[in-house]
Amino acid sequence: MKLRYLVALAAGLAIVGVAAVMKMRPTGPRAASTIVVGLSADIATFEPANISSRDNMNIAHHIFASLFTLGADGTHVPNLARELAISDDGLAYTYTLREGLTCHDGEALTAEDVAYTFTRIANPANKFTGNAPGFVFSSIGFRRAEALDPGRVRITIARKNPIAFGLLTEISIHCKDSYEKMTLDQATTAPVGSGPYRLVSWTRGSEIVLEKTAASAAAYDRIVWRIIPEASTRAAELMAGNVDIIANVAPDQIAAINQSGVATVQSITSTRRMFVGFNQAEQFGQTPGGRAIRDPKVRRALQYAVDVPTICRQLLQVECQRATGLVNPVNANRALSPYPFEPATAERLLDEAGWPRVGGKMRFALTLQAGRGRYLNDVNVVQAIGQYLRDAGVDVTVELLEWASVFQPLLRTRTAGPLFFMGTGGGLWSPIYDMNDLARVESGTNYTNWSDARWFSRWDALTDAATPEDMRRLVDEMLQVFYDDGPWLHLYFQPDFYGVSSRVDWQARPDERVYAYDARPKG
Amino acid sequence: MGVLIAHRLLQSVVVVLGVTLISFIALHAGGDPTYLFVSERATAEEIALVRQALGFDRPLPVQYLSFVADLARGDFGTSLSYRQPAIDIVLGAFPATIELAVFAFVIAIALAIPLGVVAALNRGTAVDGSITILGLLGQSIPNFWMGIMMILFFGLHLRWFPISGHVPFLLPLLNGDLATAFGNLPRTIYFLVMPGVAVATYSLARNTRLVRSSMLEVLGQDYVRTARAKGLAEHVVVVHHALRNAWLPVVTMIGLEFGFLLGGVVVTETVFSYPGIGRLLFNAINQRDIPLVQAGVILLAANFILLNTVVDLVYARLDPRVTLARRR
Repeated sequence: MKLRYLVALAAGLAIVGVAAVMKMRPTGPRAASTIVVGLSADIATFEPANISSRDNMNIAHHIFASLFTLGADGTHVPNLARELAISDDGLAYTYTLREGLTCHDGEALTAEDVAYTFTRIANPANKFTGNAPGFVFSSIGFRRAEALDPGRVRITIARKNPIAFGLLTEISIHCKDSYEKMTLDQATTAPVGSGPYRLVSWTRGSEIVLEKTAASAAAYDRIVWRIIPEASTRAAELMAGNVDIIANVAPDQIAAINQSGVATVQSITSTRRMFVGFNQAEQFGQTPGGRAIRDPKVRRALQYAVDVPTICRQLLQVECQRATGLVNPVNANRALSPYPFEPATAERLLDEAGWPRVGGKMRFALTLQAGRGRYLNDVNVVQAIGQYLRDAGVDVTVELLEWASVFQPLLRTRTAGPLFFMGTGGGLWSPIYDMNDLARVESGTNYTNWSDARWFSRWDALTDAATPEDMRRLVDEMLQVFYDDGPWLHLYFQPDFYGVSSRVDWQARPDERVYAYDARPKG
Repeated sequence: MGVLIAHRLLQSVVVVLGVTLISFIALHAGGDPTYLFVSERATAEEIALVRQALGFDRPLPVQYLSFVADLARGDFGTSLSYRQPAIDIVLGAFPATIELAVFAFVIAIALAIPLGVVAALNRGTAVDGSITILGLLGQSIPNFWMGIMMILFFGLHLRWFPISGHVPFLLPLLNGDLATAFGNLPRTIYFLVMPGVAVATYSLARNTRLVRSSMLEVLGQDYVRTARAKGLAEHVVVVHHALRNAWLPVVTMIGLEFGFLLGGVVVTETVFSYPGIGRLLFNAINQRDIPLVQAGVILLAANFILLNTVVDLVYARLDPRVTLARRR
């Protein structure tokens, strides 16, 4: 008897459960005025001066506007400022603000707010560690910011810098009245910005909700950024219609998304330069392989040993043209052609460089290090490069390392390698920005310890170039040196894949910036 | 009982210090964490400034002792990534993991006991074989694979359940917002179904096998034969005589298992984009956010100690032969 009651109770509960599920099951897209973006990584802070990752900056850029901004093609676009005047000596940048700007706290946004922003970021007492103080200010040699009148602000830098105007687009303008009242802790979660959206809520590890300001011309009233770390889950959410845009689509999911009928994958060549570095640090010179790669002839020979277009086609699912250097193609030296894949040439040049196959076997040994899971299909790409080099007679041992705790410290101490695989962010707006990684022999980003005087001795002349033509000539000369004898085995510019719902009109950008305020509903 | 709790408190201090020291050494073993907090283009001087700002320029023993001294004052430190009190961030993520762990735990226990008992009572039959095979499968299938398959079938194909996300119940409840908490509850459960089942599968399979073997052992005992000889109904023999005695090893296991569920659901949390403590700590370890890792580790260690104490108390309650004094 009791058993019958229990069975009946279980059946009743099951029916109620199924009914509840049917009632609650997802019914399709949300309000048309909301766009949902799926990201792979959570953000850390809304304190603009502490932001150091692109994902974090992408969201912050919706809340905080900059004086000028960079268009998708690298053009310099007025934003809060409508005009920029640079002094003849190149040390003073005077911005004229647009009229009628307001902060999210309702106060008028004036030159005083802009000057306050720069001064606050530079204040050592605040101990900020983001990209603005850690890279932009040190690169431009920031001196001071001062409001000339309510509509004009002057930024003074220590030395002439041909890329300062572009670097200044990275500075997020915040509002003096609110930030003066806030503690540094409060500023991490309660941003008061100047951009097209304001923060509604941030559920750490889950989602960030933004709401359009009254002054914003964006198409969507709300943007929901959902943190979905697993690539297959992001793809499933897109195909289920719960998300409108996803970043970092895995190549093996492209076909499924394109066949879903509800979304497509946009593939775009990014500005991120992928290469294998030849580290010429003293410590590697003790081994035959380390000695070999110090010889430009050996480095040049190895360029011919790797079939980059095949790597792109087979492992990255895209057709690509091999890079000719460290500058994005739009700014590259037009006289240079990508190194072709010619194994016989590689073997001949290695023989001529004095590294013949001993007894028909290997010439010398090298370790190729790489971080795991940082770049698109990196593990397979590195294995393929290792095999190509082995085919040319270089006894390559591939070491795949945990990125954050093992590989990154090696890079930062310039001790990765002697061969190492990596990618560095670049830009379309200036070749010098791309070349700036190697501005000085001792630069932290000179991971290869390269020291060719023909490259480094030209930097002062490049900075002081009187005309764009002079600058272009110097850039081309330096890129020729880099192509012939540089410290990189040239690979490709990384393709990025974004999944985009067919409900949304949005175009991916090459600079890894995801701006949802550019999106519009279709139809 | 008071002595037991005092004893456990003393133990917990030693355990907490031990785990913080181990995690501190492990996090520093990979080298200087400063590099994770500076731009990739930062110069040596800028890196040195950030190192000083983060306190990594001090000798490691000084850093650790400083942490312990702060801990003694109740200060768990400030997260290096989030720039907020580490304990606040950990406590913010903990309720979501508790919800997931409790949900999975209930599934694992509620189904494991009847399945294990049925298998034991039908030893050697097709029913027993089927349950045993399912148990083996449940222990063999990786939960991330199981999660992805559930997402594709129940989430994407059938659209029965949400693919990812979380609706909080405990957090508003703890904040005193009862209306939101109980308003959320049906959707909390709805969002928990797939990750909960994915987490519970392994535990369910293991507990089923444990209950089965424990029951088989007990069913062969003299007192069970005596109970049957007295003419007691079979369900009385099974529930009151066999299951109660088969229960002891299961209690030990499930007590520890709940602690494991609280800290060990990182993969499932990642697959289902579930904002719990496992994913938070995984990211913190990758970021070498030492204060955040330490706060999380202390919280999880304290939970394990608490659960062990509860298991001891329950054990003594279930088996009168076991006294707390003797076990000490």
